[in-house]
Amino acid sequence: MSATPRGTGWRVGALAAVGVAALLPVGVTRWARLRSERALAARSAASTAAYLELVTPAGPGGAGYDLARLLIRSRALDELPGLHARVEVYHGTAPLVHATAPGLAPETLDALRRRADVPWAGAGAGAARGGRVALAPLFDRQGWDVVGAVAARADVPDALLAAWLAVAVVFTLVAGVLAVRPLGGRPDALRPAFRRYAAAAGLLGFVAGADVRAIARDTTDLWLADARVLMQDAAARLPELRSAPASLAPIARDAEVVVGDSAGARARRRDVAGVPRASVAVRLAPGRWAEVRTAPDEARAWGWFAAAFGLALLGPVGVAAAAWGARAATRPRYLRETTAAWGFLAPSALHLAVFSLVPILFACYLSVHRWSLIEPVRPFVGLDNYARLLRDPLVWAALRNTVLYVLYVPVSAALALAVALALRGRSRGVRALRTAFFLPSVASAVAVALVWQWIYRPEGGLLNSLLARAHVSPVDWLGDAKAALVALMIVSVWAHVGYQMTVFLVGLEGIPQAYLDAARVDGAGAWQRFWRITFPLLRPVTLWVLATGIVGAFQVFTYVYVLTGGGPLHATDVAVYRIYQTGWEFAQFGSASALALLVLVLLGGVGWVQFRLLARRAGGAGAAGGARA
Amino acid sequence: MASVTLRRLSKTYAEGGAGPVLRDLSLDVRDGEFLALLGPSGSGKTTLLKCIAGLEEPSAGEILIGERNVTQLAPAARDVALVFQHYALYPHLTVRANIAFGLEVRRVPAAEVTRRVQETATRLGIATLLDRRPGELSGGERQRVALGRAVVREPQVFLFDEPLSSLDPPLRSELRGEVLALHATLGATMIYVTQDQREAMTMGQRIAVLHQGQLRQVGTPAEVYERPADVFVARFVGNPGMNVLKGRGRGTEEGSGMVDLGGWSVAVALEHYEGEIHVGVRPEHVTLGAANPETGSLEVRAVEPLGPETLVYLDARGQTLVARVHGIPNLRRGDRVGVTLDRSRLHLFDAAGERLG
Repeated sequence: MSATPRGTGWRVGALAAVGVAALLPVGVTRWARLRSERALAARSAASTAAYLELVTPAGPGGAGYDLARLLIRSRALDELPGLHARVEVYHGTAPLVHATAPGLAPETLDALRRRADVPWAGAGAGAARGGRVALAPLFDRQGWDVVGAVAARADVPDALLAAWLAVAVVFTLVAGVLAVRPLGGRPDALRPAFRRYAAAAGLLGFVAGADVRAIARDTTDLWLADARVLMQDAAARLPELRSAPASLAPIARDAEVVVGDSAGARARRRDVAGVPRASVAVRLAPGRWAEVRTAPDEARAWGWFAAAFGLALLGPVGVAAAAWGARAATRPRYLRETTAAWGFLAPSALHLAVFSLVPILFACYLSVHRWSLIEPVRPFVGLDNYARLLRDPLVWAALRNTVLYVLYVPVSAALALAVALALRGRSRGVRALRTAFFLPSVASAVAVALVWQWIYRPEGGLLNSLLARAHVSPVDWLGDAKAALVALMIVSVWAHVGYQMTVFLVGLEGIPQAYLDAARVDGAGAWQRFWRITFPLLRPVTLWVLATGIVGAFQVFTYVYVLTGGGPLHATDVAVYRIYQTGWEFAQFGSASALALLVLVLLGGVGWVQFRLLARRAGGAGAAGGARA
Repeated sequence: MASVTLRRLSKTYAEGGAGPVLRDLSLDVRDGEFLALLGPSGSGKTTLLKCIAGLEEPSAGEILIGERNVTQLAPAARDVALVFQHYALYPHLTVRANIAFGLEVRRVPAAEVTRRVQETATRLGIATLLDRRPGELSGGERQRVALGRAVVREPQVFLFDEPLSSLDPPLRSELRGEVLALHATLGATMIYVTQDQREAMTMGQRIAVLHQGQLRQVGTPAEVYERPADVFVARFVGNPGMNVLKGRGRGTEEGSGMVDLGGWSVAVALEHYEGEIHVGVRPEHVTLGAANPETGSLEVRAVEPLGPETLVYLDARGQTLVARVHGIPNLRRGDRVGVTLDRSRLHLFDAAGERLG
C-alpha cells in the first residue's frame, strides 16, 4: 500500500484479482474437458475391448483369439463409419491397427493384468496429437486372461460456447479494468463501474459453467454414439445377438441395455423412473431395437458449474475488498478495528456456517430427494417427501405426542419457581437442598433414564413397591400406553426443575428489595406482593425459562430412546424420535430431513412468538433498569 | 395526624457482627412537625426510618405513632408512607397504577381510587403522565410520582429517605419547595432523612443530628447552628463546618481564661479550666487583617474564591483554620495575614467533644 498516489497498491491487487478471476473459469473449462476426455477415452477403450471380445472368434483349440480375425476386426475399427474414438489394439504388446506404431511396454501389459485402470501416457494409435488416451485390457474369450489391450483416444470437440467464452473473458477484463480505475476515489464513482464488472463476471461464470456442462453433455453423447455403432456392428456380425440384447451389455459398460424402439440415432435425454438418463436407440435388426441408457455426465457437472461461476465472482469480490481496503486505509483505526472485529467473529461465524447453516441447507436438499445411504440412485422428488409426511398418521401421532409432552414445561417451571422462592436463603441446609435440586441437570441424560427405568420397573421397581405398600395395584408405567407419556414427563420434570430453579433464583436476586419494601409499606400482603410485584417483574425470566424449556422439550430424544423406544404402540413416539427412526432405521433420509425441517419450522414459529413476548418485556425490564438508575 | 415517639430504640444486625446501628435512641416528633434527620452516610438514618416504617424490627425499644405502640405491627398496619431514595416505582405498572397500588391492595372502592389518584396527580402536576411507565419519566417526574404514591394514601406519617439526593441541584430545590408545600397543606407529620445539612437547615422545623447510631442533638436549625452540642455537630452543620481547634486551656487571674493553641493563644470567657480543650469558631467569625505582632500572623494555605465570598484556608500552627471573607481578597498561597477571632462567637468543647457552657 504505497502512499502516492493513494491506493496504488490496492489498485494493483484489484487488477490481479480481475485477471485471475477472468482466467480461472477458463482454466476450469480446460480442466473439465481434460477430465471428460480422459473418462471418455477410458470408456471407449473398455467398450471397444468388450466389442472385440464379442465379435472375434476363438482361435483353433484354446481360449485365445483367431489372430487373423482379430487383426481384421481391429483394422476394420479404423474405418467403422460413425465411430469417433480412435483406437489401437494390441495383441500381447504388438499393435494391430497401425502396424508401424510402437508396441506396448511389457510392464504396462503386466500392470493391466493386475488392475483395470492403468495410467498410461501411451504414444500408440495416433495419440500423437493431443487428445486423451486410455488403456483397457483385452481379455481372452473366457474372460480370464489378459491377452492384449485396447488404447483409445478421445477428442471432445470445442462446443460453440468456446467462442462465447473468449468474448466473455475479454468483456470481463475490460469491465474489470474500468472498475479498478476509479478505485480509491469517491465510492459513488466506483459503484456503476463495479456493477457493470460484476454483471460481466457473472456472465463469464455462467458461460464457463455452461461450457463445462456442454462438454459433459458432448462426452456422454459421443460415448453413446460410439456404443451404438459398436453394438450395431456386433449385431450385424453375430445374428444370435439380435434377439438377446442383454448379451451386448458388456459393450455398454456402466450402462443399461434394454429392449427399445426406433427412437432415432441421436442421443436424447429423458427421465426414467424419476432418474434423468441419456439414451440412444440401437438397431439390432429390422424391427428390433435396443436402447442404451446411461447417467448423463452433465447431471453431475453442477459442481463444475458452481466452481466456474464462483471463481468468476472472485474478481468482483476482490475489487470490492480492494475498494474497501483503499477507503479504509485512510482511516487506519477503522481498518484495524474492523479487521479485529471480523477476526473475533470469524471462528463463531465459521462454526455457525459449517455446523448449522450447511447441515440445514443439506437437509433442505435431502428433503426434496429420495436419498438413502444404500441406494446409489437419489432422484429429485420435489415435495413428495413432505406430502407423504402429512399423510402419515405416525407423523401426526408423533407431533401430537410431542405437543402433549411439551406440557411438562409449564409444570416444571411452576415447580421450579416455587422451589426457588422456598430456597432463597443462604443457610447451609438451603444451599445443600439447592445443590440436590440442581444435580439432575449435570447428570447424563442416559444415566438419568436408566435410573428411572429401574424406578418404573413393573415388578420390583421402586415406584410400584411403594404403591404396593399403600395397597395400590401396580402400574406398568412404561408399558401402558396411557401411562408411558406421563411417566416420561415426570422424568423430564425431575431432570429440569433444578436448572429452572437456578434461573429463577437469579431472576429473584435481580428484583430490587426496594420494590418489595415499597409494596409492604403500601400495605400489600405476601401474596399480593408475589402476584403484583415479584411475578410481573420475573416475567422476562419466566418467559426465558418457558422458551428454552419448550424448545428443548420439542427436541426430546434420549428419554424416549432409552425408556420406551417410542412405544408402547407409538404412545411415546415423538418428533425427533420419528426423525431418527425414519433416517437411521428405515434409511429414508429424504423423509427424515423433511420431517426435521417441518419440526424446525414449527419450532421457529414457537420461538418467534416467545421472543416477541420477550422483546416486549425487555422494554419493561429496561424501564426497571431506568428506575434503578 | 399523629406524633412519632421513639423510646430507647436499638438495632443490631445479627449477621455481619459490626456493632449496633442504632443505640438507645429516644426521639419525640410532634404531631404535624417536619423533622429533618441529618447525618453522614452510615450513621443509621435509613435504618431508623425503616424501623419506623416497620421494614426493620428494632432489637430493643418501642415505637409509638400517636398513642399506638406499633413496634410489633406490620408496615401495612402502621399507616405510614415511605418515599424511597431511588423512587422504587414499580417499573411494570403505569404511573396511575403505581399511585393506585396502595389503595387497591387495601381494597378501596374503584371509584374512590380513581378520584383520589386524579386528585393527587393534579396536585403534583403529573396528571398528564398517568398512562406512562416509570421508565419513560425523568428523575423529577419519577420523584413526583413517588410523592404521589405516598400522598394518595393520606397516611399519618410521611417518611422520606433522601428523596432528592439523586436529582440535579435546580430540580432539587424545586422539589424541596413542593415537599414543604405538601407539608403545609397536609399538615402531616414528616420525617425527612438527609445527609445534606443545607437541605436539613432549609426544610426542617427541627433537625435531629444522628451520628454512629446516636442522636447528637435535636433542635431548631438556629439552635443546631448556633449552639452545636458537640464537636461532630459543629463540624457537620455549616458549609464549610465550624473550625474546631485543639488546645490547652488555663484560667487566669483576670476572671477569664486563655487557650494555648501551640504558640498562639486565644482568650476565652472561661475560668477554672485546665487541660485539653476544643475551641470552635465559624468561618464567618474569623476576620483577616494586616499581620501585626499582637495577634500573630498565619500563613495562607489555599484560597477558594466563590464570588460573593471567599474561603481562605490558614495554617494555624499545624491545624487548619478557615475564614470566610467578603468578595475576592488579594491573597495568595504563602501570604501571611493577621487573624482575629470574634471572641463573643467562640464555642468551647471539652476533651471528649461535649459543649462547655
